[in-house]
Amino acid sequence: MSALAAVALPLLAGPALWAVGARRARRQVGGAAAAALAATLLLAVVAAVDASTWALEWGAGLRLTLSAVGVAGPVAVLVAAVGATVVAYASVHEDDPGLARLLGLLVAFVGVMQLLVLAADLLTLLIAWELSAALSWALIGSNWANGGDVSRAAHAFNVTRAGSLGLVLAAGAAFAGSGSLEYTALDGLDAGLLAVVAGGLLVAAASKSAQVPFSPWLYSAMAGPTPVSALLHSATMVAAGAYALVRLGEPLSAVGWFGPTVVAVGLTTAVAGGVLALTESHGKRILAASTSAQYGLMFVAVGVGASAAAAAHLVAHGLFKSLLFLAVGVGIHATGTADVRSWRLRRRLPRVAAAAGIGSLALAAVPPLGAAWTKEQITAAALAAGPFVGGLALFAGLLSAAYAARLYVLSFGGPPRTGAAPPAGRVPTVEIGAVAVLAAGSVALGALWLPGGRGVVEALTGTRVAHGAAWEFVVSLALVATGLVWGRALATDTERSAGGLPAWMRRVTADWYRIPTASRRLVADPALALAAGLARFDDVVIDAPARSLATIGVRAANVLPRFDDAVVDGAVRGAVRLGRALSRLLGWWVERGVDGVVAALAAATGRIGDLSRLGDDRGVDRTVEGIARSVGVAGRRSRALQSGLAHRYYVIAVVGLAALFVAAAAGR
Amino acid sequence: MLSAAVFAPLVGAVVVLLLRRAAAATQRWTAVGLAAVPLVLLLAAWARFDGTGSFELVESLPWIPSLGVSYKVGVDGISLVLAVMSALLFVASAAYPVDVKERGHEYFAWVLFLECVSLGVFLALDLFLFYVFFDLSLVGMYFLIGVWGHGEARRAALKFFIYTLAGSLVMLLAILGLYLATDPLTFDMPTLIAEQPLAGSGLVGTLVFFGFAFGLGVKTPLVPVHTWLPPAHVDAPAPASAILAGVLLKLGTYGFIRIMLQMMTEQFVRFAFPLAVVAVVSIVYGALVALGQPNLKRRIAYTSVNHMGYTILGIAAAAAAIGAGDERAQALALTGATVEMVAHGLITGALFLLSGSFWQRGGSYEIADYGGLAGRAPLLTGAFLVAAFASLGLPGLAGFVAEFQIFVGAFAVYPVLAGIGLLGILVTAALFLQLLQRLFLGDLPRRWSSWRDLDRVETTVLASLLFFVVAIGVYPRWLLTPIESAARAIMGT
Repeated sequence: MSALAAVALPLLAGPALWAVGARRARRQVGGAAAAALAATLLLAVVAAVDASTWALEWGAGLRLTLSAVGVAGPVAVLVAAVGATVVAYASVHEDDPGLARLLGLLVAFVGVMQLLVLAADLLTLLIAWELSAALSWALIGSNWANGGDVSRAAHAFNVTRAGSLGLVLAAGAAFAGSGSLEYTALDGLDAGLLAVVAGGLLVAAASKSAQVPFSPWLYSAMAGPTPVSALLHSATMVAAGAYALVRLGEPLSAVGWFGPTVVAVGLTTAVAGGVLALTESHGKRILAASTSAQYGLMFVAVGVGASAAAAAHLVAHGLFKSLLFLAVGVGIHATGTADVRSWRLRRRLPRVAAAAGIGSLALAAVPPLGAAWTKEQITAAALAAGPFVGGLALFAGLLSAAYAARLYVLSFGGPPRTGAAPPAGRVPTVEIGAVAVLAAGSVALGALWLPGGRGVVEALTGTRVAHGAAWEFVVSLALVATGLVWGRALATDTERSAGGLPAWMRRVTADWYRIPTASRRLVADPALALAAGLARFDDVVIDAPARSLATIGVRAANVLPRFDDAVVDGAVRGAVRLGRALSRLLGWWVERGVDGVVAALAAATGRIGDLSRLGDDRGVDRTVEGIARSVGVAGRRSRALQSGLAHRYYVIAVVGLAALFVAAAAGR
Repeated sequence: MLSAAVFAPLVGAVVVLLLRRAAAATQRWTAVGLAAVPLVLLLAAWARFDGTGSFELVESLPWIPSLGVSYKVGVDGISLVLAVMSALLFVASAAYPVDVKERGHEYFAWVLFLECVSLGVFLALDLFLFYVFFDLSLVGMYFLIGVWGHGEARRAALKFFIYTLAGSLVMLLAILGLYLATDPLTFDMPTLIAEQPLAGSGLVGTLVFFGFAFGLGVKTPLVPVHTWLPPAHVDAPAPASAILAGVLLKLGTYGFIRIMLQMMTEQFVRFAFPLAVVAVVSIVYGALVALGQPNLKRRIAYTSVNHMGYTILGIAAAAAAIGAGDERAQALALTGATVEMVAHGLITGALFLLSGSFWQRGGSYEIADYGGLAGRAPLLTGAFLVAAFASLGLPGLAGFVAEFQIFVGAFAVYPVLAGIGLLGILVTAALFLQLLQRLFLGDLPRRWSSWRDLDRVETTVLASLLFFVVAIGVYPRWLLTPIESAARAIMGT
């Protein structure tokens, strides 16, 4: 029950805040939002401790299930904790018009993420998955009057929704094989269907976690306010992809290509994102590129079978990434620009800089911070999988250290010797408190280095954590140190336009390696052109048979009477006898039945004729009008036919049903 | 009780006609009250409905015994929920503000007449009666579009009438073919279902099946016989559009289940695959063409083609799996198809009513004429947002439940077709996001600086439709229980 409460409370509190908050003071709305999430945190802890479960029957074969068992519990706690902190920060950081909406959406977003984390079946997972995409659309487009922001929000939604269709396929395959959507049912699935589940989940996870080639949506998501980015990148939305792989990776490892593919996607993103982060100078974009890269490392971990290491890194990353976003948000507010090359804020914002320093060291994976432990577990697992995978993972680690160092030195490092001392800015206590809490969390996670740490992670995730060799650890640390030095050098190298890699590399990496341009040219533009073309095609071509039939009908209506008199009348005289015999044979009911039909038709068509004449005074399409009038004529003619001319009546009866009777004879 | 639900609106139509000299408000609220009578009666019927799987609450009278025609009405879970949805939508449409051109008594009389015949189609248990109601629905809609429409209303009405009349005449031949195969001759639907008169009949069965497929396919509408739909919608008054999309299209898909699936099971099983292909074409093609439409109503109209494609895919998948051993998936697909009918009725009904609000204020359906209305009209924006997200299948709203069931059920039977059909979901998402963006976000054009938000009546009507959209989306069990009872019976499990 506590699992349900941890989901339902924020889900209900969010809309309520939006509804009633607009007319309340900032302090009240912010307090209520933070309190709601603090209560959610409490509930999440209770749920995790109780290993709470809950289920709701929707209908046959459709059962929503929640479970805080295993890795779900700790991640749910993380989501609530980061959510509460970010919401508190947002309540003082953001401008007031729309604040209640923003806070309400953030709180609801935390609820949706709780649903996703606690889900124990594919239906619940899909519900949360899609809801989080829709809410992130609303959050990224917070500034809805700005058309550009809204387009970027739509980009994020469309890309992640494309991925979520993979989950629908996965659900279909699971149901086809087992008649159930529960995670536990995946174990018994046959190989072909399991492969569909694996493929669907991989596409869904890669799109959500901003892996190559879906990564650029995360850049679009930067259009949202800073707290939105902080929440999106750390504990919600982007985390969903890696989390789903952690949660479901075990049964899917039976699919041969699944692990290697996940590793390939993860490594590609980790390296590509790392290089990109080194070339960016927009503070939030550096962090966004690093988010893709860090989730890439988690993908690698899942792919090589180290789900526990991935889960641990997910938690560590959630803490330091939200911290860094919030710190950068303070910096943007203080400087009025997101270009970190002009910041160097340590003197102006000493406390924020200190917290950002802790976050940067965590991102760089420097011991004794917990994030270093989790990253080393991933590296060790990757090395165990082979030198190539291990080598690239080590290189990704070097890149992390380099971009973390560069970001810190540029944004929160000491001012260059030539710079004039800027005036000190005042940062609200709540903002300082928020970054301090997250920094404390990152430091506390260093407990993982203690002797019992490994055991705790294994107990929580239910999987083993691999032991790496000592020399691997030493090499890895040496690479981290190299990265730190390199990153610092990049930041202080004024020759190269105040930091970053050479210009040619920036050209290569620019705009996420031009993936957005490629996807626009290859997918979006053709789709829109196709849609416009089909719309015309539909009007001109598909509708044509109906139009030409109408024209033919008009012509035929003019010709047929003559044809009828000259040819049909003669030709069918013989057939009439046959028809009469047939009719007698088939009994009186045909007479009555068809009589009614013919009379009704005559009346109806006659009515149309009259109506169209009434309406022909202006603008009525000549073709349609023509057909109606001629049908009207035909209607009156057929009425005339009934009044006594029995043989014609039989002609109609026979012609009308001949096809059926012939068919009936043939079929029996 | 069911007969009263069918004919109360007909009596109501006469009553409203007598209110010729009454004030417009009197006419409207009398009509709304009368339109609500069947809703109350049908809800009472729901309360007494047991979900046994067979037809319940049956009422019958001999009518033309010599022809095997009787007056007979009754419900199973599928027709019950469709009838209730229709009745709700009629009340909503009657209440929604529209320019009745000083002829309110006639307008409301036609709305009530349409309610009578639409409920008649869903509740009829005699094929002859079914056909009579089915065809009369054309007449009512013809007048609503032709007289109270705008633009090229008469032309659109005539095209609608002739196109769909052609469809129903083909269906009439098919009905006669089915009828002639019974012995003794009867139009009784439960008998036809039990007897399967055309089982093993070769060519006749095939011809009759395709006759039904064409006739009902025009009504549904399926690609490529859908081109009557956009002009009819564009020029119709908004409440008529809501009825057309919400109720009349369902007459077609309902026929697919009740007649084709139930009375011609053998043929349906054989031809399920081509039908599923047509459905998937409708899904993807309908979505893409909708994306290409610069006109609000045409865009919504084409999403109907897309959504009815989902429905037919679900029905075809259910049919294909008959006897194939996967009863769970087929019942899921058939349930989903029915939920899609209900969901589409409520959602698209709401969207068309909303487009009417645009027409009443802006006099235009061109999407490009609008923008930035979110600041001026939060209620309008909110209602449209919920309806649009429901239509694109967002969880928590009704469309998701339907589409999830359809795709998961269909995957077990036609994995590749289901996969292709998913593209339709993606395109639908893109087209609604783009629509929301262009209508409500960005800059507000100067000419709309005094735009009115939804009034009380509009808000109440939309809220009541969208309430059920949310209720189905969050906890659909109350809806699924009756539908599943019928689906299980149809699937023989």
